[in-house]
Amino acid sequence: MFTLFTSSQKILGMNARNLTYIRPNNLKRAKRLADEKILSKKMLSKAGVPVPRLIAQISSRRTLENFDWNILPSSFVLKPNRGLGGDGIIVVYGRKKGKNDVWIKSNGSILTIVDLKTHIEHILDGEYSLSNTPDIAFFEERLKLSKEFRPYAYKGIPDIRIIVYNKVPVMAMLRLPTRESDGKANLQQGGIGVGIDMARGVTTTAVQGKSRIVEYVPGTRLLLSGIKIPYWDDMLRLAITAQIASGLGYLGADIAIDRDNGPVILELNARPGLSIQVANMAGLKRRLERVEGLKIKTISRGALVGKNLFGGEIEEELESVSGKSVIGSVEKVELIGINGEKTSIEAKIDTGAYSTSIDVRLARTLGFSATIDAFDKINLSEFGEITQKGMGIGKKIEEKYGKSIPHLIETSVTWSSSGVTIRPIVQITFIMDKKTITTKVNIVDRAELKYDMIIGKRNLGKFLVDVSK
Amino acid sequence: MINQFSPLINFLLDQQINLDTIILLLLFPVVVTIVVILRQVVGIKAFGIYTPSIITLAFVFIGRERWLDIKYAIMIYVTVIFVGMMMRYVLKKLRLLYLPRVAITLTVVSFSVLALLAIAGYFGRTGFASAPIFPILVIITLVEKFVTVQIEKGSRTAMILAIETLFIALIGYTILSPTTFVGEDIISFTLAHPAIVLLILPINIFIGKWTGLRLNEYFRFRHVIKKIQ
Repeated sequence: MFTLFTSSQKILGMNARNLTYIRPNNLKRAKRLADEKILSKKMLSKAGVPVPRLIAQISSRRTLENFDWNILPSSFVLKPNRGLGGDGIIVVYGRKKGKNDVWIKSNGSILTIVDLKTHIEHILDGEYSLSNTPDIAFFEERLKLSKEFRPYAYKGIPDIRIIVYNKVPVMAMLRLPTRESDGKANLQQGGIGVGIDMARGVTTTAVQGKSRIVEYVPGTRLLLSGIKIPYWDDMLRLAITAQIASGLGYLGADIAIDRDNGPVILELNARPGLSIQVANMAGLKRRLERVEGLKIKTISRGALVGKNLFGGEIEEELESVSGKSVIGSVEKVELIGINGEKTSIEAKIDTGAYSTSIDVRLARTLGFSATIDAFDKINLSEFGEITQKGMGIGKKIEEKYGKSIPHLIETSVTWSSSGVTIRPIVQITFIMDKKTITTKVNIVDRAELKYDMIIGKRNLGKFLVDVSK
Repeated sequence: MINQFSPLINFLLDQQINLDTIILLLLFPVVVTIVVILRQVVGIKAFGIYTPSIITLAFVFIGRERWLDIKYAIMIYVTVIFVGMMMRYVLKKLRLLYLPRVAITLTVVSFSVLALLAIAGYFGRTGFASAPIFPILVIITLVEKFVTVQIEKGSRTAMILAIETLFIALIGYTILSPTTFVGEDIISFTLAHPAIVLLILPINIFIGKWTGLRLNEYFRFRHVIKKIQ
């Protein structure tokens, strides 16, 4: 019963998604932007993200009456601007031979201008739009199925859904259209969702519809696991760019691969579904909590953090065998200050160092200002010349000042190419990968260095370090 | 009902307010809260919060004299859903615009209910045949909601939601109708202690902040839960 409770804590349910992630992070304006496909298309191209080309849009019956049908290429897609779940979309493969005004649909049936007009009227009336309000119809270029996905897709184009939160891609799945879903990549309509290992961009487990676990492409012996997603790194970056540009704090980006143009963003989703967890056999909630509050400055950094944190199924197996958890070379750490306040930072895991050290400024925010100031006032020359190896100088400082400097536990003398440094050592508590560690750390000026904290061997006993992460 | 009314209820009665009105207005929030619990905690979706609530009221009205009259309400409900379902396939070929299509569906549904009442009357079910029109109309308007969901999410989903709505309405009916076994006790207790209704406020605040998994999500994510255990 208890394990059921703890493991269900890692899963993101509808209530938590709406209240904790969508409500505070996705403001109304940003949501509207995601719901309106033409608008998000324009916004994305402005941000330099490739999208399927807009051919024309029809916003009223008058434009429909005066529409010049000759401008349509032989293959295109007709969509409602505010459609829902892939409804109301018509995919046209080509013109019927020798006729300029008759097309062939993806299912082989014939489509005339009259058919197109009726369908556009339906769209304008809001038949496919959210809450049935009047809508706009638009034509966009039809993407061509890329070679890599040809064996896996039934009609339609597969796409890759990436959930991005706080500029970090946290979970992804490949969505494959099936016979059951009538060529649509939507899971609710019977499409297949295949989980993706974030680090390698290779597929893992798969689900069809809402919760049926599958291993093969239906009707074939083609394995769904082990598919290498092309352009994986580009896709992660596109998804993060889209998140920043759209202003959606919690975003599901749908990316397709065009045979000629590579990855393009199809659609933004302000309320991405939860089945991605079944496809990945992993809980989204814990992943979201891990990236919460991280300060991600650049897009490549966000992609790297996502890959580091959420890659590798193998690692979970390792964890259960060794009882140690696997961490990467950079980990999110929560430090607890003197007054109990928490500070989140990224720390470098350094197996070459014995002890752990933190930056002076970080130590000050944790409440060690008094210690640092008092330590700086010590006149080191009174201890005589610092000889090779520092011979007992640390001891002497401790004897003389140990009681008067608050929180000082020891001092350490470190020799390096730039000379000798004498550092104060204090005791702090930090939390890494859900484990609480209380330890001695030395305080040093790390202003020139990338990370404010390095964690040395002394504190890594409970962990295995995967340097590829 | 032999028990005592609270002074507040007596005061309201002195103001010439109908007892049935008082009962409905006091207990309607309770029904709404039940809908909320079933949606947020259990995960039953139904057609939003308004439709199940209003259908509940229609049921209470139809079953106001004998609790078994609820079977007529259920028959009307099933007829409405069934005809709405059929009309989708009939009208699909005509390729009509949305609103006229709903209008036609509503027309056919109305005629079907009329036919149902006529058949009931013919077989001597006069209680059914003379059922009040207003609750019947309320049930009929359900069809628009049904058709919308059918178009957006497919017939299967619409059917599931219709069954869930019926389920919720029946629970609401059991609580709200003085003719049912529990309903009678609940109503007399509430009339004696009307302040108890205020409890729904903290309950809703709690549910409004609750981020746990819904019961149906334990089922939906059962494979994942097993895997990460």
